[in-house]
Amino acid sequence: MTTKSAADRLIPTQPTSGSVREPASFRDPIGFVYRRDGVLYRQISARHAADWQAFVGSGLFGQLVERGWLIEHDEAPRELAHDEDAWRVLRPRPLGFISYPYEWAFSQLKDAALLTLDVQSAALEAGMSLRDASAYNVQFDFSRPVMIDALSFEKRREGEPWVAYRQFCQHFLAPLALMALTDVRTSVLLRDFIDGVPLDLAARLLPASSRLRFGLAAHLHLHARAQGRRRGSAQPSAAGEDNGGGQRGRPRLAADRLEALIASLRAAVAGLHWRPAGTTWADYGDTTSYSSPAAASKREIVGRMLRATDGDWLWDLGANTGYFSRLAADMGRQVVALDADHGAAEQHYRAVRDDPALPRILPLVVDLTNPSPALGWAHAERQSLLGRANAQTLLALALVHHLAIGNNVPLERISELFAALGRELIVEFVPKSDRRVAEMLAWRQDVFGAYSLDGLRAAFDARWQLIADEQIEDSQRTLLHYRRR
Amino acid sequence: MIFGYVDPGSGSLIIQAVIAAMVAIPFFLRRQLARVVALVRRDDHEIRS
Repeated sequence: MTTKSAADRLIPTQPTSGSVREPASFRDPIGFVYRRDGVLYRQISARHAADWQAFVGSGLFGQLVERGWLIEHDEAPRELAHDEDAWRVLRPRPLGFISYPYEWAFSQLKDAALLTLDVQSAALEAGMSLRDASAYNVQFDFSRPVMIDALSFEKRREGEPWVAYRQFCQHFLAPLALMALTDVRTSVLLRDFIDGVPLDLAARLLPASSRLRFGLAAHLHLHARAQGRRRGSAQPSAAGEDNGGGQRGRPRLAADRLEALIASLRAAVAGLHWRPAGTTWADYGDTTSYSSPAAASKREIVGRMLRATDGDWLWDLGANTGYFSRLAADMGRQVVALDADHGAAEQHYRAVRDDPALPRILPLVVDLTNPSPALGWAHAERQSLLGRANAQTLLALALVHHLAIGNNVPLERISELFAALGRELIVEFVPKSDRRVAEMLAWRQDVFGAYSLDGLRAAFDARWQLIADEQIEDSQRTLLHYRRR
Repeated sequence: MIFGYVDPGSGSLIIQAVIAAMVAIPFFLRRQLARVVALVRRDDHEIRS
């Protein structure tokens, strides 16, 4: 007998046919995303008809798609709608893997912020404006940030301020300022604050010197104070004024002033920098633990083992700065490259972003000892890392000793996690006699009796069938190719 | 004026207008300067060629 958890009862499991709304798509009344027979669609309500026609008619839609700023959308027949409220149905180009802002390296969040502002500038030129500026509306198509919500555009009414200004500051400006000026690891705040970092919290955590930067002094510190004062005052709320329908006390913003505001936000974001120095791996490199014959041997063996695997998607677990992710990408794989270290992921992202060959690699900051959980309403708005497992093949190079010794995880548990993530596995075993492991054990009691090559084989045997194993030349390390049973 | 589904925050709307007013003047001055520089550069180029 299986018992259903509360979450299972609340969230319908995806049937193989029929139409199911995406659990994250519920806030916006004018449209939503759903899957029909496994295909992703976006339904537009008649309430959004005029805005959609202006978006397409002004040429903005075509321009944004052509520039690669907005994901491609095809029109689909209205019969494929989820319900009667549909006015039009769109079929967006699906992305193979969805990532979240709390998994992005600094430059990924920064590039997503700049994209959002550039899209808003283009929209203003076309007489339109972004209705929201959520970081979740940006996805990474490997190394390229792209907007995914085609319904975020509305006709701008003369004099109207930017309705998404607060959201932009919370989703982008505040976390970027914290990462750049306080500590890059504050990106985890985005995990708890699903609608962005509250500005008063960011203002408290930022160093006093952040007030010397005009952009942060204005858009963050002053903005936070204005919010606090407004909240504490007896003035009617914005919603109350709206219901009255009056214009009394309503701030107005001319189009050219709004343009200046966006330029100012852009300068504030562009002026934030973070350089990976002092984080664990920043100057580690991918091959510094190897002599040059060993490095060449490792590359050769991994390449050979990869050729014996199949499937489009590969996850590189503990990818570091991406030497082996690149090897897999060059062999035609689509790679999600996970590393717990901001410095490594940052370097990796910059390398793939600046590479004209556009390698199909998505670097992310993910700690496998505490992977991203399911978050938001009913745990269903943001999927857990395991819930997004889409890879056939896993690379786990120079990783197991960090999990087993660095984090005290039994080898059986590591085998189970890998089995939940993929069906082909190339894993490297680093013995205790290796310098790296010896350093880890130097100042602590060796309680890892089972940590040996034979111990790993025994632990993995229940779930994995060994296909091949080879010792790396001029080293004590071994590579093993496993297939899930 | 009815706003969309995102709560703009009343304090955010007011401060947005204040900041926009502050940054507008230098923004337009810089833009005019850029136009003048572009014009001068073009003249320069035409004279030399």
